[in-house]
Amino acid sequence: MLLQLLANGIITGLCYSLVALGFAMIYFTTKTFHFAHGSIYTLSVYLFFTFYNMANLPFPIAIFFSLSITAVIGILVDELIYVPLIKKKSSQSIQMLSSLGLYIVIVNFIAMIYGNETKVISPGIQPTYQIGSVILTRVQILTFIISLILSATFMIFLKLSKLGIMIRGMRDDPELLSIMGIPPRKIRWFVFSVGSVFAGVASILNGLDVGIDPNIGMLALLNGAVAVIIGGVGIFEGTFLGAVLLGTLQSLVIWKTSARWQNTITFLLLIILLLFRPQGILGKKQRVEESLQ
Amino acid sequence: MNYFFHILIMINIYMILALSLNIPVGYTGLLSLSHASFYGVGAYISTLLMMKLGIGFIPSLLFSIFGSVLLGLVISIPSLRLKGDYFMLSTLAFQIVTFTILYNWVSLTRGPYGIPGIPAPQFFGIIIDTIPSFLIFSSAVASICLYLLYILGKSPFGRLLKAIREDELSAMSLGKNTVKFKITSFAISAGFAAIPGVLFAGYMTYIDPTSFTLEESIFILSIIIIGGSGNFLGPVLGTIFMILLPEILRFLALPDSIIANMRQIIYGFLIILLLRFRPQGIKGEYKFQ
Repeated sequence: MLLQLLANGIITGLCYSLVALGFAMIYFTTKTFHFAHGSIYTLSVYLFFTFYNMANLPFPIAIFFSLSITAVIGILVDELIYVPLIKKKSSQSIQMLSSLGLYIVIVNFIAMIYGNETKVISPGIQPTYQIGSVILTRVQILTFIISLILSATFMIFLKLSKLGIMIRGMRDDPELLSIMGIPPRKIRWFVFSVGSVFAGVASILNGLDVGIDPNIGMLALLNGAVAVIIGGVGIFEGTFLGAVLLGTLQSLVIWKTSARWQNTITFLLLIILLLFRPQGILGKKQRVEESLQ
Repeated sequence: MNYFFHILIMINIYMILALSLNIPVGYTGLLSLSHASFYGVGAYISTLLMMKLGIGFIPSLLFSIFGSVLLGLVISIPSLRLKGDYFMLSTLAFQIVTFTILYNWVSLTRGPYGIPGIPAPQFFGIIIDTIPSFLIFSSAVASICLYLLYILGKSPFGRLLKAIREDELSAMSLGKNTVKFKITSFAISAGFAAIPGVLFAGYMTYIDPTSFTLEESIFILSIIIIGGSGNFLGPVLGTIFMILLPEILRFLALPDSIIANMRQIIYGFLIILLLRFRPQGIKGEYKFQ
């Protein structure tokens, strides 16, 4: 039982890590608390639902279309919502509020078009596999492999490639980057499109597993944000670790109490972290204000 | 006629909510996403005291204000350390924790089943059990609250909160304990938010946790973003506008299933547009920056 819950928790955590890494990449480089990331998460899986279940396109083509549109929408959100606010020198709180406004708009559009009820993407009982005493569904195994590969590739890419180094440079000092002759706007496009695709992959995997409704994005985003805070703002490895830890912890909450208290525990953890260790588990001790500069 | 009275009662309830949130947001400059938790805790404390312990309306109203102030003190502790979006994130976390507790502590709050049959407000031999009488009662309560909040805004205390909003360092250098004032403003706001909670419970005679969600907090905050904050008129106009908006949509003969989403889409758009082009809202004083 414990092993089963641990396995479920780690797989959930890996799925969180995709949302969290996308969110983290955007948050660290642009300093924008991208609330609308949650609505992009929802939108992406609904696009997939439209192409795959309603238009009956083949699986790979539906994936390709929905993720491409997601990437474009990610860039559009940045250009239409955040860039004008940054030009106006609005604070991060205002960007966060605008993002919240956009979240409301997108999610309610989805609810208006598709309805509020839960929709199933892959009907029927999924084939399961037994590994030792642990039973996993096919989607869970798929989630495990894809999330692990994507997260690992992403972290290696950040460490080694030139663009990855630029992204880390933008995290540390955006102004210095433009002095070096690197246009921050191009990096913003990259960050928003790739971040959105990561959210899309996670939402489609999760949708295949448990179905979709218009409100799934909020909790996905908040779990991702909590993972970022657990790991420490500015540290990508920490975000990954935080997501896996969070998934495992939530699974253990089911073991000790019941699934109903998952959110209570998650957000109590967030409050405790914000109060006592705002730099996260891997972060160096510094003032919160500095870490946000 | 009762339909018209119903709208006026809702305006009364939300006006107290908006003007009480105006104190931390508009005066002190602390963006809070936990106002619905005070509203809900107010409603639940008074309801439970009246129904489980048989305490009268007025004492349970006072207890619920007291409980809400205590919760406000607990939530505002992060303001000692956190700024900007971190502060907002911590109020959001508290909002979700409060909601999940109301939702999951089934033995006390009956959780998702809600509490039906809440007794009508009753004091000094008067029972408020019809819609017209409830309109008079809620208007009286709202007038008292609005008057108190108006006085508070004009007082030296209100001016000091504005000073903290504009330039916290200057306020500190004048020897003011800004942390203490921030916490006080938050706690006062929480206390006032409990009153509409009690009104709501008595009016609806039924409460369940879904009235006090994060979405509700965002709605109350959007009232004062849209109406404007930092003065008295902004939140008042915001409330009237936001409560009338779905009724206007209904007159346009839109089906009910679309109205709920349509209303949210409109206010989401309004938040984005106002923050960008008119950060003081319709008639506010404080420009969100």
